[in-house]
Amino acid sequence: MRFAAGVDVGSTQTKAVIVQENGGVRVLAQALIDTGANVQKAGENGFLAACREGGISTQQVGFVVGTGYGRYKILFGNAQMTEISCHARGAHYLFPNTRTVIDMGGQDSKAISMGPAGNVLDFVMNDKCAAGTGRFLANAADVLGVSLDEIGPLSLKGKNPVKITTVCTVFVESDILSYLAQGKKAEDVLSGVHLAIARRTISLARRVPVEPAITMTGGVSRNAGMVQALEEVLGVKLQISPEAHFAGAMGAALYALEKMDQGFEAGVWDGTHATNRGH
Amino acid sequence: MSEAEKAEYRGQVHQLQKELMVDWYRRLDESAGTGSPPAVSLLVSGNCVELLEAFDILPIYPEVNALQLAIRHQSLEPILAAEELGYAADNCAYVKADIGALLKGITPTGGRLPIPALALCNFVGCNTYVKWFEHVSEFQKVPLFMLDVPFLRTDEPSKDDIVYVVRQLRELVTELERITKRKFDYDRFKEAVRNSSQVEELWSRIKHLSRKTPSPFDAFFDAITLMGPLYVYRANPAGVKFFQAALEEFEQKAARGEGPFGSEKFRLVIEGPPPYPFFRVFRDMFAKWGACAVASTYSTVGGLWEFGFRHDPENPFEAVAMHMLAHNVTNRNYLQRYEQIRRYVEEWNAQGLIIHFVKSCRLFSAGQGDMRDYFTKELGVPTLYLESDIEDPRYFSEAQIKNRMDAFFESFGHTPAPVRARAAGRPGVDPGRPDGSSRLRILE
Repeated sequence: MRFAAGVDVGSTQTKAVIVQENGGVRVLAQALIDTGANVQKAGENGFLAACREGGISTQQVGFVVGTGYGRYKILFGNAQMTEISCHARGAHYLFPNTRTVIDMGGQDSKAISMGPAGNVLDFVMNDKCAAGTGRFLANAADVLGVSLDEIGPLSLKGKNPVKITTVCTVFVESDILSYLAQGKKAEDVLSGVHLAIARRTISLARRVPVEPAITMTGGVSRNAGMVQALEEVLGVKLQISPEAHFAGAMGAALYALEKMDQGFEAGVWDGTHATNRGH
Repeated sequence: MSEAEKAEYRGQVHQLQKELMVDWYRRLDESAGTGSPPAVSLLVSGNCVELLEAFDILPIYPEVNALQLAIRHQSLEPILAAEELGYAADNCAYVKADIGALLKGITPTGGRLPIPALALCNFVGCNTYVKWFEHVSEFQKVPLFMLDVPFLRTDEPSKDDIVYVVRQLRELVTELERITKRKFDYDRFKEAVRNSSQVEELWSRIKHLSRKTPSPFDAFFDAITLMGPLYVYRANPAGVKFFQAALEEFEQKAARGEGPFGSEKFRLVIEGPPPYPFFRVFRDMFAKWGACAVASTYSTVGGLWEFGFRHDPENPFEAVAMHMLAHNVTNRNYLQRYEQIRRYVEEWNAQGLIIHFVKSCRLFSAGQGDMRDYFTKELGVPTLYLESDIEDPRYFSEAQIKNRMDAFFESFGHTPAPVRARAAGRPGVDPGRPDGSSRLRILE
């Protein structure tokens, strides 16, 4: 029996997944914590939490791949890969028919075009602007005084979505305030916010071929309002796994397993990525 | 020192380049003190340095000064000074760095720069550049010569275009005679043009060396090193000597099978200029992956010679006009740029294309989204689109760019991609083979 781990240190949250191979491959454990200011600690804590959850010791894990913006701070890891590769791999594992991944995270939204084997063909990401990301939603939630978990369900109640013209994460606050001042309902404002982000994200995604089947990954996939808005703009259903939030870490763990298959040993440089494990 | 830094190629050519450029700045400093020889400000794109050489006039390239400030991490201060004056945040950062430096008395070397005897705006394809030289003229109280070079709308310039530019070049000669108080020497002009044609031949042969695997030098980063002498010394015997030495050095490297660093894992074409404020950081991002540029469009801003054009010493005015009109990438039309890149990808055997969008240069960057689509969707060439700036450090996000770069190179390591263009029944190029051998070939 072999174990491998993927740790995805995102800008907002850190996800860790341990996969177990015993004939077949299955997810043994996963953990989710806030990243906070100490990126290195977040990676370690995420990994430890996943090991605890899986009831195994850290020594039993044969290989660790780090991903996400904090990947170079995963000093106990054996290799690093970008979350683009990892989300694609994770999405392919969750839905093998995936040809396009839409990943919405805390500060990133991206679209990945994939080949049938889960290989990345092309990708686009938002650049230097948080429009279309989780941060945009978080700001909207703050202004309206509702929690992040509530905004999705609340937006679904909106029957007359307002038109949000700005795509700026900062200026959306004044847009929202002005609608509230006009007496618009919070759910209509939120519905408008979700649609604005969906349009922005899909126009970005269309720069790669958006081909079905489309799988959504990343933390924002837990927001039902966002999912509905995206489906409305796209005109097709999205594939969303309950594990979608962990897709990046899952992909990293699967790559880790692959590295073990290829004979990479923990602590041995694989020729393309830096390694720090064992030091 | 990182692995990438250790691996960086520093040859004799880099030392010679440094000596030439130091000498140029030394002569500019001298000119600032004595007024001799006179200096003229001009722009890199399709520059007509041959005419200045014929009069022993020193060229000043404000673009080169601006990029020198950026590469030395000194561009933000003058940019902010220009913004305080009212230049908009999204104005060309070259302009802001140059104007700000002018007003604050900042120079890249700390030496003096002469007040030009003439502001020669020889590239009018960019409206901002026109305004730039109007401002240079206004702030420095120097005469302005606007050389109107029409954009290349078709494959070749029309006869009228050539006549139009030649007539202006002759007017420029009168102006240069006034400045230097010297009669124009046609034979010296022909000699300058002959020097240029020799440099162009040498430069072109250098650029064709990067077709070899491994490429003996990086046709983006090392080519940038050669661009200074190419613009300042092209029409001068010192330029000929320098490019002879460069060709010799690269030929020897090619014969030994040496690349610019350890081993060449990826061959790329790069479109657009570098982010000068983060030049080293940017270069390391490529070196880390063993990625070598085998061709670049930026190295053809001053002139495009690898496809055969040479200045003709027997028809010097027409040759200079042709160069300005049709043989530099910035004055050519967009479809020609597509074709140039396509030829690089195919004939230089590249696996992918990197497009660097320059936030503050709409002229060069507008349309690059379509370019990306053309190369990825029509030709099946893996293409990475990066955004930052040539001069303004505030637009460079290291984490974001590194992430995209890493993901791009990682994707080559995945199972080779099926060719979308082929799937769609269009001719295209194959981005990869399972055994990792030569990834690109023209499909039947």
